[in-house]
Amino acid sequence: MESMKKKIMEIEEIINNPENIKTVDLKILFNSFLSEIKNRIASYIGDYPTFIEPVFLEENVKIGDDVLLGPNVYIGANSEIGDYTEISNSIVFENVKIGENLKLENCIITKNSTLNLRNSNLSNCILMGSSDSEDEIMKIKF
Amino acid sequence: MVVQTKKQVQQDNELLAQKIHQNLIDNNIKSFDIVGAIGAGKTAILEKIAEKLAQKYKILVICGDITTRVDANRIEQYNAETIQINTGRECALNAYHIHQIIKNKDLEKYDVVFIENVGNLICPSEFILGTDKRIVIVSITEGEWVIEKHPMLFKMSDIAVINKIDLLERLGTNLGKMTNDAKKINPNIDVITTSAKTGDNIEKLIELMGL
Ligand SMILES: Nc1nc2c(ncn2[C@@H]2O[C@H](COP(=O)(O)OP(=O)(O)OP(=O)(O)O)[C@@H](O)[C@H]2O)c(=O)[nH]1
Ligand SMILES: [Mg+2]
Repeated sequence: MESMKKKIMEIEEIINNPENIKTVDLKILFNSFLSEIKNRIASYIGDYPTFIEPVFLEENVKIGDDVLLGPNVYIGANSEIGDYTEISNSIVFENVKIGENLKLENCIITKNSTLNLRNSNLSNCILMGSSDSEDEIMKIKF
Repeated sequence: MVVQTKKQVQQDNELLAQKIHQNLIDNNIKSFDIVGAIGAGKTAILEKIAEKLAQKYKILVICGDITTRVDANRIEQYNAETIQINTGRECALNAYHIHQIIKNKDLEKYDVVFIENVGNLICPSEFILGTDKRIVIVSITEGEWVIEKHPMLFKMSDIAVINKIDLLERLGTNLGKMTNDAKKINPNIDVITTSAKTGDNIEKLIELMGL
């Protein structure tokens, strides 16, 4: 658990400076973090989602209807996942709002982001900012 | 949201199941989907099998349940690696669940994959999972009519296990009827009676599975 916390902080530090991201280093750290995720799904707000372990939920995560989380997913405190959304191999930081019917795979969503999108399929990227359309979201491929 | 008809969903599931099966075969993995009624003894039988085979094979067990990790924890005690899927509102595992696990795993590490489906004698018949064999487990406590009343899973399974025969004397269940029903529904099915409690016929079941 200690190592998980340490790595997530390192990842946060790296993406705080989007201009200087070395994607190769980030990818190594990202994969190493994903491989260490422990299952923690005891407390969340929502209605019977599907979990493929391991999924780690921090406090107060809100999950919509018919959501599929996992494997290898970390979700930070107070984040919200919209109905029919599916997330695997990804890190969602705290206070993030994710829209309906999105599919996220190998993604990092930075804290306080709002992906107010629907019906999109996003993979292998860092997503940051708040927007109603995919074109307006800041997206860094990695 | 894209709405699919039941037929489309089943077709997509079948294609994905084929892909899973090919992937497992390519990695020399033997695979089994264990289906059956709630409480028939799926986990108890897997515990016994893991206990006997964990020395010989590297085993991965995928456990499907609505919620909790109870079954995975039970099986893990017998040195098999486990992954729990909580299906929430869904009453069966589907190929997509299994694909999500398989594609994220280093399959070279494993010799055998068991999937314990959600306890249900109806829903799993709509979703094949891409395993070599499907094994359906019922127990004599469910009454001798349980097989004839739930033909679908017996039609599409390779082995039918009638479990809890240690209780036969007490219950007086008509075992012959159960066996005949299974054979009538699917003449190619192998029928075997077991007790996960006493271990009776577990070796024979392992043999039938080709392990
Ligand atoms: N007497 C007796 N009890 C058994 C036998 N097999 C399983 N049980 C008991 O039956 C109960 C249910 O067994 P499980 O192995 O949990 O059944 P399951 O099919 O995995 O159940 P679900 O996963 O909940 O659908 C447990 O209390 C077992 O100890 C058996 O052969 N004989
Ligand atoms: Mg079970």
